[in-house]
Amino acid sequence: MITSRRAFLKTAALGGASLVVAFNENRLFGAGKDAAKKEATGQFKPNGWIRVDADGTVTLTIGKSEMGQGVRTSLAMILADELEADWSRIKLVQALPGPDFKRLGTGGSFSLAGSWETLRQAAAAAREMLITAAAARWKVDRAACSAEKGEVLHAASKRRLKYAELVADAAKLPVPADPPLKKASDFRLIGKPTKRIDGRSIVTGAARYGIDTKVPGMLYASIERAPWTGAKPKSSQDAKALAIHGVRIVPCTSGIAAVGETTWAALKGRAALAVAWGDPPANAFDSEAHFKRLDEASEQKGFVTRKEEAPAGTRAVARTLYASYFYPFYAHAPVETMNCVADVRADRCVIWAPTQAPNSLQDEVAKFLGLAPEKVEVNVTLIGGGFGRRLAVDYALEAAEISRAVKAPVQVLWTRTDDTRQGHFQAASVHRLSAGLDSADALVAWRHTKAGSPHNLKLPDPAAVRDAGFYQDLSWGVYDVPYAIPSIETAYVTVDLAVRHGPWRSVFAPSSVFAREAFIDEVAHARGSDPLGFRLELLNGPDTVKAGSLTIDRRRLRRVLELAREKSGWGTAVAARHGRGVACNIYDGETHIAYVVDVVVDDAGKVRVERVVAVVDCGLVVNPTGVEQQIEGGILWGISSALLGEITFRGGTAQQANYADYGVARMRDTPAIEVHIVPSEATQPFGMGEPPVPPIAPAIVNAIFAATGKRIRRLPIRPGDLKAVGA
Amino acid sequence: MSEISLTVNGAKRTVKVDDDTPLVWVLRDTLALTGTKYGCGMGVCGSCTILENGKAVRSCQIAASAAKGRTFVTIEGLSKDASHPCQRAWLEEDVAQCGFCQPGMILTACGLLRDHPNPTDEEIDAAMSDSVCRCGTYPRMRKAIRRAAAAPRTQKKP
Repeated sequence: MITSRRAFLKTAALGGASLVVAFNENRLFGAGKDAAKKEATGQFKPNGWIRVDADGTVTLTIGKSEMGQGVRTSLAMILADELEADWSRIKLVQALPGPDFKRLGTGGSFSLAGSWETLRQAAAAAREMLITAAAARWKVDRAACSAEKGEVLHAASKRRLKYAELVADAAKLPVPADPPLKKASDFRLIGKPTKRIDGRSIVTGAARYGIDTKVPGMLYASIERAPWTGAKPKSSQDAKALAIHGVRIVPCTSGIAAVGETTWAALKGRAALAVAWGDPPANAFDSEAHFKRLDEASEQKGFVTRKEEAPAGTRAVARTLYASYFYPFYAHAPVETMNCVADVRADRCVIWAPTQAPNSLQDEVAKFLGLAPEKVEVNVTLIGGGFGRRLAVDYALEAAEISRAVKAPVQVLWTRTDDTRQGHFQAASVHRLSAGLDSADALVAWRHTKAGSPHNLKLPDPAAVRDAGFYQDLSWGVYDVPYAIPSIETAYVTVDLAVRHGPWRSVFAPSSVFAREAFIDEVAHARGSDPLGFRLELLNGPDTVKAGSLTIDRRRLRRVLELAREKSGWGTAVAARHGRGVACNIYDGETHIAYVVDVVVDDAGKVRVERVVAVVDCGLVVNPTGVEQQIEGGILWGISSALLGEITFRGGTAQQANYADYGVARMRDTPAIEVHIVPSEATQPFGMGEPPVPPIAPAIVNAIFAATGKRIRRLPIRPGDLKAVGA
Repeated sequence: MSEISLTVNGAKRTVKVDDDTPLVWVLRDTLALTGTKYGCGMGVCGSCTILENGKAVRSCQIAASAAKGRTFVTIEGLSKDASHPCQRAWLEEDVAQCGFCQPGMILTACGLLRDHPNPTDEEIDAAMSDSVCRCGTYPRMRKAIRRAAAAPRTQKKP
């Protein structure tokens, strides 16, 4: 609980004829779980506002970026429900970052969990003030009044007053310190399937993303960037570029920009430059060589992230199974490529950016330009796919640099090739696992070492202390292995990585869960057990267990696995070349998911995922439609990673350039998907943007094993991996 | 630079652009019709899809000079009020996540339904698999296309 007198306040300055309640949601990406406590003792600084206007409009201003996760809809639902507001009168406004408006940002699937309590408290405070104002006007007992759909009513006299008629009075009242929250049984919207609040603007083309920003006098820039770290241009055809109408050449930190009056002029100018970069150095980054380094590193002891000694009386290991799992580089590949508009003037700068990290964007641009942060106005647009890529602010720095140089507003637009080659990639990792079985084939020892690379992208929270918590974050899915095994030792080995890399949907979990859930399957098969039944056996024992700062709730994971077994027809016969696989995970100690996947492997060794049965316990569900959409999307994301594209590097450069050679799932790759949401005892929602991703790839490789007897230990599955068994 | 006349969403427009300017940039930069999205510029993602005589075409693959005298409909021109059967079906199935690719997807579906008023699952997959939705909204898109196909014929426009 984060209830505090400081959790919200009324702001008279902004009030006027409106009722305004400000609040501060305490949990945000990179802020850590202790931040709330620290902040409660400091000065209150809101980062969200509820305003009820005299015309009945209810406006929520909040710093959450919409990038397809439906956060605007879910937050509006929470607000409308607790405030008893009319759903059709809810408006959302994107908060602008500022020194007093810190810690905006969207990532880590924390938005709902972080906003739930405080948004409800603030909405309840506003509701109580409106009720008090009505009771005073009617001169009746306050307790005899209630709120409903944008009105206060006095049941005894059947009188009603609209919120619009009460805001002026309510704004004069003190904000209640501890307003009562609605009981879950009284929710009108929360828990009901609800369509997106901004769906109409999307299907009419009216929705404005970053790329759609138009500013008077705006120029367009396309940048030829250094193809490998440290590359310098050897030559360029400047005259040819300058011959294109209106084109200017602007050298910049990341390369050479062609600036024109239209996007096409900039693109043509850049092509005409024909920048030659020479040859990469012999030691330029190579992904195959990097895999060798990771593989060797995975044999080191590393930083131990969890260690549990076998209790006395545990039988000795009689045989040991070993395996190494390889997880590749991936690009985010959102359909809206990186872009940003900057308008830099002598003493200020205005930015329009599709960003997940408005505060760090503001800070970084201000630092770069030598301005105070409040002199940089950051307008957050809709985002055409974030997936973690837009926590980096590189594209905004480029726009600021070029706008300053040409003294005009500039839009920097990345091409598809730029976006594929120059990203902040999901970093490759190698996982070395071993399982010790005793003389009765019980699993008594588990070792899992991950060799990988921490992000080299600067995140909003720079205090990256290299303690156990730091390595545990890198080891989501490794150290929090939910299974009851007498002896557990997990470790992390850091391997430097010379290309840019950063958070990708589900951050550090997908590689780890892929390795863990595939290897547990290997153990099950090695001892002749049913893989789903074996998992359930391993989830017996104490219902909860501590791992780092997380509490693993095995009971909830058991429940989703049991339901997946039932709903999928687990154990029933499958056709030839078909196979059924299972995997499960608890994401960040909170969201519990199990998948049962049916695949078919054809003669050519091509895998098709035919059906996925998904069972999730994600705590209290705000919008079941949103949960289903995130599961569907997470499954398609996982199918892309298991069966389609990877990024490889030669000579320091990514070898893939677009969706033709970096495959992502299409309609034809889409399985039938059934989603089952487990009614949860939890009283608050947990994240759903990322948790659906990690267990899908291992469920697929486990199904492939069931179909073919071939164990896949490296993603993505390459043509030929399964050819011999399919033929 | 040439003066090029074409018809967009029922209105004749004359633009002064380089002959080789892809139509997607004419629409977005010159005519400010930003509902048509840039996604790849090479015809592999479908975000820039528009309609020509009801057929789905990729505006990044049509040079301005080649667009001369032709007639196109963009997402802004599909209906004034989101009333086209495909738009309605998209809303009813709550297809969109980030929404960026959806104008192109909706217009691709319009093209499919023109040629195959009652498409099979295979025809849906074949028509839609040249387009990319990174959020993975395909399951709902399938449902929306079936729903639009089942909508009363008289309401089907472009």
